[in-house]
Formats: sequence, structure tokens, C-alpha cells
Amino acid sequence: MSLAKEFKKGFWDVLPPFRLVLGLCPTLAVTTSAENGAGMGLATTFVLVCSNLLVSLLRKFIPSKVRIAAYIVIIASFVVIVELLMQAYAYPLYQALGIFIPLIVVNCIILGRAEAFAGKNGVAASAADGLGIGLGFTISLFFLGSVREILGNGTWLGLHVMWPGFAPFKFMVRAPGAFVTLGTTLALINWISARLEARRRS
Amino acid sequence: MREILRMVVVLTLICAGSGFALALVHKVTKEPIEYAKLKNVKEPAVKAVLSGYDNDPIKDRIVIVVGKDKRGRPVKLVVFPARKGGKTFAVAFEGTGKGYHGEIGVMVGIDLKTDKLTGIAIVSQSETPGLGARIVEKSFTDPFKGQSLAKPLTKDRIHALSGATFSTNGVLAAVNQARDILTKYRKQMVQ
Repeated sequence: MSLAKEFKKGFWDVLPPFRLVLGLCPTLAVTTSAENGAGMGLATTFVLVCSNLLVSLLRKFIPSKVRIAAYIVIIASFVVIVELLMQAYAYPLYQALGIFIPLIVVNCIILGRAEAFAGKNGVAASAADGLGIGLGFTISLFFLGSVREILGNGTWLGLHVMWPGFAPFKFMVRAPGAFVTLGTTLALINWISARLEARRRS
Repeated sequence: MREILRMVVVLTLICAGSGFALALVHKVTKEPIEYAKLKNVKEPAVKAVLSGYDNDPIKDRIVIVVGKDKRGRPVKLVVFPARKGGKTFAVAFEGTGKGYHGEIGVMVGIDLKTDKLTGIAIVSQSETPGLGARIVEKSFTDPFKGQSLAKPLTKDRIHALSGATFSTNGVLAAVNQARDILTKYRKQMVQ
């Protein structure tokens, strides 16, 4: 398995919210704007890369019976570090993301990657895996956030992008908009991958 | 038995390492977090009551101990000084007064030369919406500007809100509390 392959799979094959359908709670909750989505994604990426690295380093040292407890301690430590750093240097973002920063601890993607990949593979491969999946997650959240912000607020990254007089679909930035956007995107991605699959067979 | 021992030792080591790392990060970020919180929560109010300064009042904040609470712990007051050319000419700090529904926190700006108010801004309140909550409106806070604090501030010098006597009195009490604090701790504020 090459490093590039481990890195690339996070962008399509195992793209977290759309292909694995994991980590949906923050995906639905924080993507009210493109900026929040990207911030949440990057925070998750940081935790994912660091925890993958450490879990992979310690994988021969941790007895398999207590591995989950050990993983959770490692992940929780990095989440608190992210929380403190964000409070110190990106306070408005910290306020916008609120409870969802501490909740990264229980994000299935991170524990899932520690258990499924980092606990069995080398350090470099694990870091590449974490980075790829983390960035895939970030791009997904950024995309969902962009769609919702543009349609629901008429802005993108805080800049006005729609024509004047555009009446924003307010419901897109509320909870139902999250489900609609996620569902539509999921359908689109499934359709594309079905087409790709059909082409490969023929 | 050996296996259990190994599990215990490994988990203990990981937790100890995690605790050590977190303590380190906490120590490094303590100052910036305090600054970021004040900057985002208090700066809008400070900016509303002070003007014409060339320093960063949040960065230059002075902490004064003003008495003790019921458990004997010191009560700290954060004072934001406005300086020009290194000289403090005005200060802003929070006073509190009892309103109709809980405490009202008021950021009070005071010119140190003339002892006149440079402005007030309501920082926290839970008064009745549409009635007592009108204390946050400009039409209520603006008349405080320029009022002298040589004597305690009274209702006849401002536009008291009709139907919201408790809220008006709460704000006045907060301003007068700030006046008392200033008389008591003026020296520490100017330093």
C-alpha cells in the first residue's frame, strides 16, 4: 500500500460523511456557514492526524483488551488541546462551534480510524490516512456549509454573492436545511459512483 | 496476573502523559484565553464608553482587589484604562446594581480629570423585554454622558424610564457603585 493511496482514499473511496456516513452529528449541526464548516473540519483533521500518529506509535505497546480506553484518552487529550488553542487564538470560531468542539471526542470517524487503521498500520501510513480522511471531511463540511450559506443567507464566507433583491431561503441555515442538503448530496454522490461503476463494468 | 499488571501500567502511563501534556498546553494558553475572552466580551462595551485613547485598554487592564466575598475569597475588579501618550486620562470598569429581575452589569467610563461620565453601556441584564430592557437603548444611556460624579447621580439628571423604575434605579445604583469604587481606588487605577 503506497502512502499516496492511503492519502487519496479519504477524498472519494471512504469520504467520511458521504461514503462512510459517519460523523453526521457535527456535519448536520455546524454547517450553517462555509467558515464554520471549514473550522470544524480542520479541528477534526488536527485531532485525527495526531491521534492516528500516536495510536500507531503505541500500537505494539497497548494491550488489545484496553485499547479502546487508551484510544479515547489519547483522542480526548488532543480535543482538549484543540479547544484551548481555539479559545486562545480563534475565539469567535470557538463560540460559533460551541459544544461541537468537545464532542469531537465521540466522533465516530476518529475512533473508527484509530481502531480500523492506525492500530494495525505503520506511523507514516496512519498519518497519511488521517490527513486524507480529515481533509476529505473538511472539504465535505466546507461544501455543505457553502451551499447552505449561499442559499440560506445569500453570502459566502461572509461576502455577498447573490444578486441584490435575492430573498434567502431562511430554512437552509436551520436544521431542516441540513437534512435536505446532506440528503441531496448523498443522492448525487451515489448516482455518480453508480455511473462510474457501470462504466467500469462495460 | 501479568496481563492485568501490564494493562494497568500502560493505561496509567498514557493517562499520566496526557495529563502532563494538557497541563503544559493549559499553562501556555491561559493568558491568551483570558485576553481573547475580554476582547470579545468586554471590548464592545469599553469602546462604547471610552474614546480618544491610543493604547489597548484590554491589554493594559489593571486588576484591583475590592473586598472579599462570603467565603473570604478576594473579589477582583478589572479596570480598563484609556491612555494617551502613556498617561491615563479615563478608566472604564463594571459596576452592578439590582434591577427588577436580577443584577444589571453596567460598563462605566469616567474621565479622571473632570470626574465626569464619558458614557455607560449595559453589559448584562435580564429585565422585562420592552419595559425594563429599554435601559440598553441609546436614548436612555446617552444622557449619562457628561454627567458629573462629584455627587451621587440621581434620577432627575437623566431620562428615567416610566414604568421601569426598578430598572432605572438599578442602573443608577451601578453607576453610583462605580463612583464609590473610584473614590476608594483612584490611586491604583492611575498608576
